[in-house]
Amino acid sequence: MVIAAASSPAFLPRGELDRLLDLLHDDGRTVIGPMARDGAIVYDEIRSAADLPVGWTDEQAPGRYRLRQVDSPRQFNFTVGPQGWKRFTQPPRVPLGTATRDGVKVEFETATPEPRRLAFLGVRACEIAALLVQDRVLAAGPFADDDFRARRANALVVAMQCTRAVSTCFCTSMGTGPEVTDGYDLALTELDDGFVIKAGSQEGERLLGKLAPGKADEAQQASVADGVAACRASMADQGVAAEGLPARLMDRLDNPRWMEVADRCLACANCTMVCPTCFCTSVGNVSDLDGAINHTERRWDSCFNGDFARVAGGNFRPRRQDRYRQWLTHKFATWHEQFGTSGCVGCGRCIAWCPVGIDVREELAAIAPPYEEPAAPPTPAPIRGAMLDGLSPLPMVSYSPAVSQPAPLRADSSVATVRAVAPETADTFMLWIEPRDAALLQASPGQFVMVDQPGFSPVPISISRVADGALWLTVRAAGAATQAFTSLEPGAQVGLRGPLGRGWPIDRALGRDVVIVAGGIGLAPLRPTIDAVLAQRDRFGQVLLAYGARTPGDRLYLKELDAWANAGVEVAQIVDRAGPEWLGQVGVVTQVLDRRDWHGRDAVAFVCGPERMMQATVSALRTAGITRRRIFVSMERHMDCGIGICGHCQIGPFFVCRDGPVFAVAELGDLFGREGV
Amino acid sequence: MEAEITPRPRVGVVKLASCDGCQLTLLDLEEQLLPLTERFELIEFPEATSRRSSGPYDVLLVEGSVSTPEQLEEIVHLRGQTRLLVTIGACANAGGIQALRNWADEPAWRAAVYPTPDYVASLATSTPVAEHVQVDAELRGCPIDPRQLLELLTALRIGRRPQLDGESVCLECKRRGNVCVLVAGGQPCLGPLTQTGCGAICPAYGRACYACFGPREQANVPSLHGWLGKELPQVQVDRLFAGFNAWSTPFRDPAERAVRHAHGNAAEPDAAGSGADA
Repeated sequence: MVIAAASSPAFLPRGELDRLLDLLHDDGRTVIGPMARDGAIVYDEIRSAADLPVGWTDEQAPGRYRLRQVDSPRQFNFTVGPQGWKRFTQPPRVPLGTATRDGVKVEFETATPEPRRLAFLGVRACEIAALLVQDRVLAAGPFADDDFRARRANALVVAMQCTRAVSTCFCTSMGTGPEVTDGYDLALTELDDGFVIKAGSQEGERLLGKLAPGKADEAQQASVADGVAACRASMADQGVAAEGLPARLMDRLDNPRWMEVADRCLACANCTMVCPTCFCTSVGNVSDLDGAINHTERRWDSCFNGDFARVAGGNFRPRRQDRYRQWLTHKFATWHEQFGTSGCVGCGRCIAWCPVGIDVREELAAIAPPYEEPAAPPTPAPIRGAMLDGLSPLPMVSYSPAVSQPAPLRADSSVATVRAVAPETADTFMLWIEPRDAALLQASPGQFVMVDQPGFSPVPISISRVADGALWLTVRAAGAATQAFTSLEPGAQVGLRGPLGRGWPIDRALGRDVVIVAGGIGLAPLRPTIDAVLAQRDRFGQVLLAYGARTPGDRLYLKELDAWANAGVEVAQIVDRAGPEWLGQVGVVTQVLDRRDWHGRDAVAFVCGPERMMQATVSALRTAGITRRRIFVSMERHMDCGIGICGHCQIGPFFVCRDGPVFAVAELGDLFGREGV
Repeated sequence: MEAEITPRPRVGVVKLASCDGCQLTLLDLEEQLLPLTERFELIEFPEATSRRSSGPYDVLLVEGSVSTPEQLEEIVHLRGQTRLLVTIGACANAGGIQALRNWADEPAWRAAVYPTPDYVASLATSTPVAEHVQVDAELRGCPIDPRQLLELLTALRIGRRPQLDGESVCLECKRRGNVCVLVAGGQPCLGPLTQTGCGAICPAYGRACYACFGPREQANVPSLHGWLGKELPQVQVDRLFAGFNAWSTPFRDPAERAVRHAHGNAAEPDAAGSGADA
């Protein structure tokens, strides 16, 4: 393999490495590089070349890492240790801000990122790839994380090409190394007597100009090429079959091997902690005794944790096999669709640092082996986890006339004032709330807000109406935070963020029959859709609202149900259990749909309720002639951030908070209704 | 101040079979102690006051395992006096180190230890509080962690769910930047099975976690046991689980094997009786 070089490579004698460090220090940078500590190579502050781990080398195997002294002058004679550079680009704990409460008044102050100027010394090719993946995940989406961007912008990358690999390395098969080709300021390759060095950016050129090393001679350049080639060759038999892997893996969601690996997996989260691209976080509160001053902090979390996918009503991934499958399929399959790249860079950390030595390469080979026929996924694969074109995030018909552009996503809450809290049913109530930030009123049907009370985790609540400069939120008192809403008095303040997510694509329903199916509190996010349809009733065909509830007393918006029926919506209600006062239908909501026929009628359906109910409903709607591309469901998942950076609400290639919560069933493919995703 | 307007919740701290270390954690809160007493009325706390109370309690912190007939009677009575019962520490949550006797012949051991065993009224087993009465929350550890205690009290006051994570110790180890003592050091560390909350203290000082916070959700004991057993004799691995949380369900099998193994091989505790049945 020939190393691409913009300018001809130079040679820095080993004794002059300190000159490079001095230059970096002179630029006001703290240099972070490898040190030998506690039996491993870790990244920490390097004051001079003397801090570097001379003569240390590493041996790695599944579940095993050892450092060993060898007779070598080399200072970088090892591969990757337990820590990735994400420790510095996305640190384990980041202060987000302070939420204060003074009586009914609340205030939210956002922390300003003030990153140090850093230089990363000794960044391996796989680690550069990881930084570039992080760029896509944390800074290239609709929301770019300020803290990450600031840290990344303030870090200079001094790369180190690998000339040796350990048994856990597989960068070659992931296409990320060992050659350093991109994403660096300076790149070094270590020889016994010094470093061949080249620049990869203007800043690198500038530093190299000041350093003014001599040219690398032909022998030195050949040594580099040979060393890197030998490194590549040594990995020939220890990779993964990455070609076509995403499709193969997603075809094997039911492979019994998931259960077998779950017997070994500890769900301890070590793989995700050491992975340089795993980015999931959650937010914690540190409060004073009165909850008056609350410091919020974002910290590393993991999809292996029990609370990660938990919502008030249960846990979407209760079993280890669910969590392992989520991690592996996201990393190697759905990451591609979501971020345009693999989530794995082949560094092998998850293999070495797994306490029981689970090797992703073996698991992938067992779960998703290459097809026997070369061009194989035989039938056109079901649409799975692909966004449909033309699903505009905003409907043409809006109940909020001012809508033009979606509001930019924000990480900070703005203050809103409670107008009233009123009971709706035995366990639900309406939170009527007036935001200070007018952008919150520009919500489209099906969107949601994060309601933020100082000292509590923010709660995602769908918007059930926007009117008179205020939001109507229908809330079920399911946990401590929602319970706390019930005691809010008029005039009390809370924080709001939003509007968030992709709502119902009402434009798809123009000129067509509209079928709205709601289960229980699932009517709340559908009410704005009904409002929007009724606002321009003549632009739609027949409109059916099928509403199922556990008991008559669990139905929401009783007066409005009648009003809608009088305004041109066919309202069919059905309850699971009825008392003597109930004269209507008893049963499940699909019974309402069983007698319908929309074949050849281009109808569009909007469905919201518990996932099981939605599953049954979708099946009934398809039988009645509505295709999966025209059936839209609103998905529930654990949401922590609401803006697509915390990872909790992941389903296949989607963040439910950002890409949903409303999806066409065709977009979700066979992830819809599947257990444990 | 708001703290003076709202009535102060009545808090009690009681102990069953235990060493008092957990309740002392409350005193270790030091600078928070006065603000806490302004917000909570400590009506029963023998380590701090000789004033006694019979309840009722809004919050009762219970330390220690149920080890004697009196304790069993007492905990049932206290439950009736208490709105929110919180068990603190490995003894109350899991039976404690003294639960190792659950696999032994209790009268024989009693006779081996006490000159007049008849004076000692003891149940055959040392058991967690939750085996006898409903427990509303638990603080793990041997001893408990002061930050978790403070979080529990803060959460009670604010009305939020206490932020007591169920994740493994490993996450905190990695956040701290500790090098894994199991993977890099070959030490038999129970961190992957153990509930977090301690701040990963032991690995931070280069020693293996011995699970004083007890098993976490989804603790996969057989897998780690099998892995450690590749390097260590089975009995040595079993013994790792025969600690403060031996009686907790996920640890029970290996802990029992360890106790029975020790029992079978150790002459002394058996000398007085027919203890060994393994």
